[in-house]
Amino acid sequence: MAETMVRMGELATSAVAGDVLVSLGLGSCIGLALLDRRLGVAGLAHVVLPSSGGNAPLGSWKFADYAVPELVDRVVKLGARRPMLEAVLVGGASMFAVSKSSLEVGQRNEAAVRELLREQHINVIAKETGGSRGRTIRVYVGSNKVTVKEAGGTEKPLIAGASVVAA
Amino acid sequence: MTRYTDTQLDALRELANIGSGTASTALSGMLGKSVDISVPNAFVLPMAEAVGSIGDPESDSTGVVLGIVGEMPGSVLLLFTPKDAELMCGLLGVEAGSEYGISALMEIGNIVGASYINALGQMIGMELEPTPPAAATDMLGAIVQSVLAERAGAGDVALLLDSDLVVEGEDCSVSFLLVPDQGGVEQMLERLGV
Repeated sequence: MAETMVRMGELATSAVAGDVLVSLGLGSCIGLALLDRRLGVAGLAHVVLPSSGGNAPLGSWKFADYAVPELVDRVVKLGARRPMLEAVLVGGASMFAVSKSSLEVGQRNEAAVRELLREQHINVIAKETGGSRGRTIRVYVGSNKVTVKEAGGTEKPLIAGASVVAA
Repeated sequence: MTRYTDTQLDALRELANIGSGTASTALSGMLGKSVDISVPNAFVLPMAEAVGSIGDPESDSTGVVLGIVGEMPGSVLLLFTPKDAELMCGLLGVEAGSEYGISALMEIGNIVGASYINALGQMIGMELEPTPPAAATDMLGAIVQSVLAERAGAGDVALLLDSDLVVEGEDCSVSFLLVPDQGGVEQMLERLGV
């Protein structure tokens, strides 16, 4: 079993049961997990900003408009079936209550990721987004468990195995 | 990825040094205690590595952030560990974690951050104004990432000028990050002539 850290602007995928994909302490960023639960293929993107404005260099995975299609391609290359893909979203908080612009970034990140998923016909089956708390997302490859943890809290499942806990 | 020469990093470090010197005087006046500053670090890091260089992303932290508006937009972020927050609040006679505790830390952030920003503006000859502070107590990663997303977001690298203010005899410190917008680094270096 290996834990892969997915840091700001990074993507990771795995089809190895027992692997865990992790983004620690998401604030306004979005942790986007994509899963083909039947085949046990999963990916995680750590999205920082909603849009590249169209002129960022290739590989700028921090932008939702680059990261979402790339993550879809990568899990499909690993064997996931495009129509079977499902998404879980964590993050998009506004950490600083007074700061209007950071509130916007979190909300805009979530809206952008949702819109891009809609274009790809991928359903969001669970989420823990918004608010003002930081969160850690863990994706357990193979067992298809996705968990979220807040500061000082315990790890709680967003989806556990085949059964959907929250939507 | 933008690279800076050692001379440029030294110049940025010196800027941080003078800024935090001014900030330490402000903190000292507020607490009525002598405050030392550590030798500042200047990190230019790929964004992915920036958070981990500061600390464990899941560790508890209180962050007070001030925006910089004017010729060189950016953010100043003060970070307190739970222990530092408690000691700092104790020195001001308020209870950490309470409403008063948070507003005391915000006031520290306000005075220290604003004096840092003013010193910076004077050194580089720019009009810089601090915005009112905002605070969050949460995971370190969530706090730092949100500031980076706002500021260094458009670039691939984050410039972090990091220094510690250490309250004498109290084993209590606050660390200090200046995160300029992407073009801001070049502007600062140009003004410094390096």
